[in-house]
Amino acid sequence: MATVKVSEAEKVYILHGIRDDLRVDGRSCEDYRHMEVETDVVSNTDGSARVSLGHTAVLVGVKAEIGKPRPLVPDEGYLEFFVDCSANATPEFEGRGGEELGIELSNTLYRVFNNKNSVDLKGLCISAGEHCWVLYVDVLLLQCDGNLYDAISVAIKAALFNTKIPRVHMSSDDEGGKEVELSDDPFDCVRLSVENVPCIVTLCKVGHRHVVDATLQEKACSVASLIIAVTHRGTVTCVKKVGGGSLDPESIFEMTEVRVDDLSTTLTFQNKVNGLLFVQAGKRVGKALHAPLMKLLQQEESLGKKREKVGFLG
Amino acid sequence: MLKSKTFVKKTRAGGVMKIVREHYLRDDIWCGSEACRECKQESTVLQAEACIESNLCPYPHYVVPDTNVVLHQIDVLEDPVIRNVIILQTVLQEVRHRSAPVYKRLKDMIQAKEKLVYTFTNEHHRYKDINWETYIEREQGESANDRNDRAIRVAVKWYSQHLKADGLKVVLLTDDQGNKEKAEESSLVVYKFDEYVKNLTANPELVDRLALSKDDKAEIISSKVLFPEHLPLSKIQSGIKSGTFLQGTFKASRDNYLEATVFVQGEGEESTEVLIQGLQNLNRAVHQDVVAVQLLPRNQWVLPSSVVLQDDGAAKDDDVDGDEEEKALRISAAEAAGKPTGKIVGIIKRNWRPFCGMLNVSQIKESTRHLFTPADRRIPRIRIETRQASTLVGQRIMVAIDGWPKNSRYPNGHFVRSLGSAGEKGTEEAVLLLEHDVPHQAFSQNVLSFLPKMPWGITPEDMIKRQDLRHLTVCSVDPPGCTDIDDALHCRELENGNLEVGVHIADVSHFIRPGNALDKEAANRGTTVYLCGKRIDMVPELLSSNLCSLRSNVESVIGLKASLTYAEAQMRIDDTNKKDDITESLRGLNKLAKILKRKRIENGALTLSSLEVRFHIDSETHDPIDLQTKELMETNSMVEEFMLLANISVAQKIYDEFPDCALLRKHPAPPPSNYDILLKAAKSKNVEIHTDSAKALADSLDVAKVDGFSYFNTLLRILATRCMMQAVYFCSGMDSDFHHYGLASPIYTHFTSPIRRYADIIVHRLLAVAIGADITYPDLMDKHKQSALCNNLNYRHKMSQYAQRASVAFHTQLFFKSRGILNEEGFVLFVRKNAIIVLIPKFGLEGTVFFDSKDKAGPSLVFDEEGPTLKVEQTTFHIFDKVKVTISLDDSNIQHQKIRMALTEPVIPGVSVAAPDVEPQAKKPKVDR
Repeated sequence: MATVKVSEAEKVYILHGIRDDLRVDGRSCEDYRHMEVETDVVSNTDGSARVSLGHTAVLVGVKAEIGKPRPLVPDEGYLEFFVDCSANATPEFEGRGGEELGIELSNTLYRVFNNKNSVDLKGLCISAGEHCWVLYVDVLLLQCDGNLYDAISVAIKAALFNTKIPRVHMSSDDEGGKEVELSDDPFDCVRLSVENVPCIVTLCKVGHRHVVDATLQEKACSVASLIIAVTHRGTVTCVKKVGGGSLDPESIFEMTEVRVDDLSTTLTFQNKVNGLLFVQAGKRVGKALHAPLMKLLQQEESLGKKREKVGFLG
Repeated sequence: MLKSKTFVKKTRAGGVMKIVREHYLRDDIWCGSEACRECKQESTVLQAEACIESNLCPYPHYVVPDTNVVLHQIDVLEDPVIRNVIILQTVLQEVRHRSAPVYKRLKDMIQAKEKLVYTFTNEHHRYKDINWETYIEREQGESANDRNDRAIRVAVKWYSQHLKADGLKVVLLTDDQGNKEKAEESSLVVYKFDEYVKNLTANPELVDRLALSKDDKAEIISSKVLFPEHLPLSKIQSGIKSGTFLQGTFKASRDNYLEATVFVQGEGEESTEVLIQGLQNLNRAVHQDVVAVQLLPRNQWVLPSSVVLQDDGAAKDDDVDGDEEEKALRISAAEAAGKPTGKIVGIIKRNWRPFCGMLNVSQIKESTRHLFTPADRRIPRIRIETRQASTLVGQRIMVAIDGWPKNSRYPNGHFVRSLGSAGEKGTEEAVLLLEHDVPHQAFSQNVLSFLPKMPWGITPEDMIKRQDLRHLTVCSVDPPGCTDIDDALHCRELENGNLEVGVHIADVSHFIRPGNALDKEAANRGTTVYLCGKRIDMVPELLSSNLCSLRSNVESVIGLKASLTYAEAQMRIDDTNKKDDITESLRGLNKLAKILKRKRIENGALTLSSLEVRFHIDSETHDPIDLQTKELMETNSMVEEFMLLANISVAQKIYDEFPDCALLRKHPAPPPSNYDILLKAAKSKNVEIHTDSAKALADSLDVAKVDGFSYFNTLLRILATRCMMQAVYFCSGMDSDFHHYGLASPIYTHFTSPIRRYADIIVHRLLAVAIGADITYPDLMDKHKQSALCNNLNYRHKMSQYAQRASVAFHTQLFFKSRGILNEEGFVLFVRKNAIIVLIPKFGLEGTVFFDSKDKAGPSLVFDEEGPTLKVEQTTFHIFDKVKVTISLDDSNIQHQKIRMALTEPVIPGVSVAAPDVEPQAKKPKVDR
């Protein structure tokens, strides 16, 4: 993981600032940096989006392909994730350097997004047990400036919003053989509902407080962080702790607000208790993140062909 | 400027793929008009004064046909009158997608300078004003066709705006009402194609070539549905997949228009034939179409009928569905246990081409609709519309089929062009070349450009690579008048007393290098086609009769000492006084040839027989004045023997060197059932024929004799020839059976005639590589490409034989035309249900004597399949029966001139005719044309 070296004096400075709700770049603890979202940036995908958050830049492409449903859920399609940490992002990723991070990220993304509460997986099924759409979500890290999860999740949500799956129907002959028939109108497409697609909020514990959207320096001062996937209604679909440090067992009374079954089973009970304060904050931030994002995406969509494409050079 | 084109495609594996193509627009695409002052073009195609005599568009204008106009009206567009045409890229692409033959014709049209056709790449055209760009993107809810129509309209709009200032109009031609209306809305000049053509005042004959548009078709045909509907392609495909339907090539019967077979290619070697009988079951399929058939239940299976039925006479009403003929067919076929029988449920691919034939003029005087009878009997008659019927009578014309609606008895078509008066030699030759798909156009400039520059001589480099054999006594022996001599022989005694024989073949592969236009043209033609008095060369004449031809006293590596004819050579051998080198050499060759032949025959090579006829052609009129069957001399067989030896040796050599890609020739052993007719025929004369092996067959043929019937053996050999399979070229890597049945050789190829056969050129190249004299190239070593080449060569070879036969038949007709009625002796060769087929040995002529006729009640006929025999009244005909017939040219029906035979002996009251007693030549003056 990309890290920066921070001296003791700097650490103290950052810690003290955060204690007073004032961060190095002037933000308060629950503020995001400037974020840019653009969709439909890669023409040969079925849906794509690019997100930059501070200097972090990610590109997400969604390719829809016809596959076979998983045996246990024959009436659902599924998503596959692949995260490519390009050496563009940081020289550490050169060669196989980014592989470990890539796998970690894609496993987490799979857990967050590939469930029927987040994405309408049943809608991806073409014919039960035989054909379904598989959405290959490819994430490309172009620049790392901290807070990868949040940027990636926003980009995935935007790319899924942008995804147009060609409309198909099954034709069957007398013998019972089935075949996929494609509509010959390229505009005849199915859109995914992204309403319930969660966004990830990463909370970094710095001193006794937590910050969202930590920069690399802040991250260096933090011992542990908690990633929380939140839907627009505030439902938490996944919580995961990353980093070596522990989280304080504070504010146990707030636990009642969060139903236990909302939490991911990866969390031990101990950590669950510790994380509650964070979860509260995460829910709050996450809910606040969804509304402007959706508004932005719909606004962009309504521009149609008149929209000026910016891309990475803009 | 970059745009992208996006579309979704289904992959073969059943997946769906999104494909994005980059699409660039450029601003250096000009309009091609001479009048334009804006475009910076170097040369122009379209004239400034683009005028055509027209009531509709008297002003100078260019025409822009849409895709459907090009696809259906190409015959009119090709006419030299129609000039100044703009073909849009959209149209070109769509045509290419939908019909390869039309696309080729369109490309030829574009290339012809005098046609003034300009292709405008509207899809890539970028204009300084963005609102006038001719590239458009498909819009939501728009079908691909609508998008293309819109692209055409946008381009026409741009053109009319662009050329407005120069006083030129641009006329869009379409047959689509919807497109026309939309074009009018955007104030374009637009006309229906027929409307435009009908108003070309100077050229009324163009109207005949118009293909029928949909509304025209509706008016001709009665409302009654005659045929079952064809299934849509998607249903056919799923049916074929599930096995309910079979896919195959439709082959109409030559003798019976109500019968056809569908040849279904099965897995691997397996293939089946499905019989189709009756108009309804044939369901509008035309010879060579790829069709889908459904098998009938087993209890409805029938046998092919042996009735000869021709669809002639007046046009039949569409609503007469239960033809008498058809009933007759059904009854005769009702005997149980037949072959697989089916019905056509749909057409997968039409294989229509323009057909040669003649017009049957309608009895109704004012009618413009007439029936056209194709020269090929397997093609149904076609209904066409023409106003020039009176001029077209007696001419050979070409007609294209436009469509066959389900409520029409005949397909509808239109007139393409006239080939000339029927019966004239030039016309008939053109017909038979066209009908047999023989490429006979003059060689193109591109092809000729690869010929060696004249004067050609042997270079010192050539001398290094080659061995000088000019000191040998080499001579060629060929038929008289032969100009493409590609083989020669020599023979000399060596010091040890052995004889050395050389077979010298012209090295055509030295001049025809792989891959160039000359090579491709030769590969396509495959073979030189010999017609009576005419030769259609495979390679340009410079090669065939000049450079490559081995001529005596011409500078070449092989110095010919003499070019002899078979007869001359024979005379030299027989003349004991001659003692010169050439004669001695010939004697040596002859002696060896006899030994070789004996060995070959001992191995079981077959000597079969077919009568070949040679015409003596009048030197001035080029009409045949006499005909004789070819006679074979010892020298013929001498040359043949050495050629066989050379071919076999080369075959072995190239196969040893290239086991995977040697081009060989095989002659499969015929299946035993092929011999049925031969065995039956022989048995009727108490002669036994063994067909277990080629050797057994050859031996039993040798001893087959009947006292007092000297011709019997020849007849038997003719019959045996008919039982044989066709010899074919193949690639050694694709087959395992190499045996040549007829020559009794385990391996064989063609090597000795590279001037007239393309196979030999390939074999030459292989041999050259094998001995290190030349380099190889990828296609030569690719067995799949070679195999494809073999298929073409086999096809061309077959067609050239058919063309040759047709040419002989035509000359035979010419001959009999000048002879009047002759009375000749002949033999029954085959017995059919209602006819016997008679061979006249004197002329090598075969003809059919029919015993039933349509207009009057025929004699009683009893056909016995076993014999086979046919009992007419009291007389029974067997195979080999000697009969006497009158031969005359039946030109009462000029549509199909044919040799008519009528029985004179044995005399059957009411059936046979009286023999003409006077020598007819004296009675009838010689027709001289």
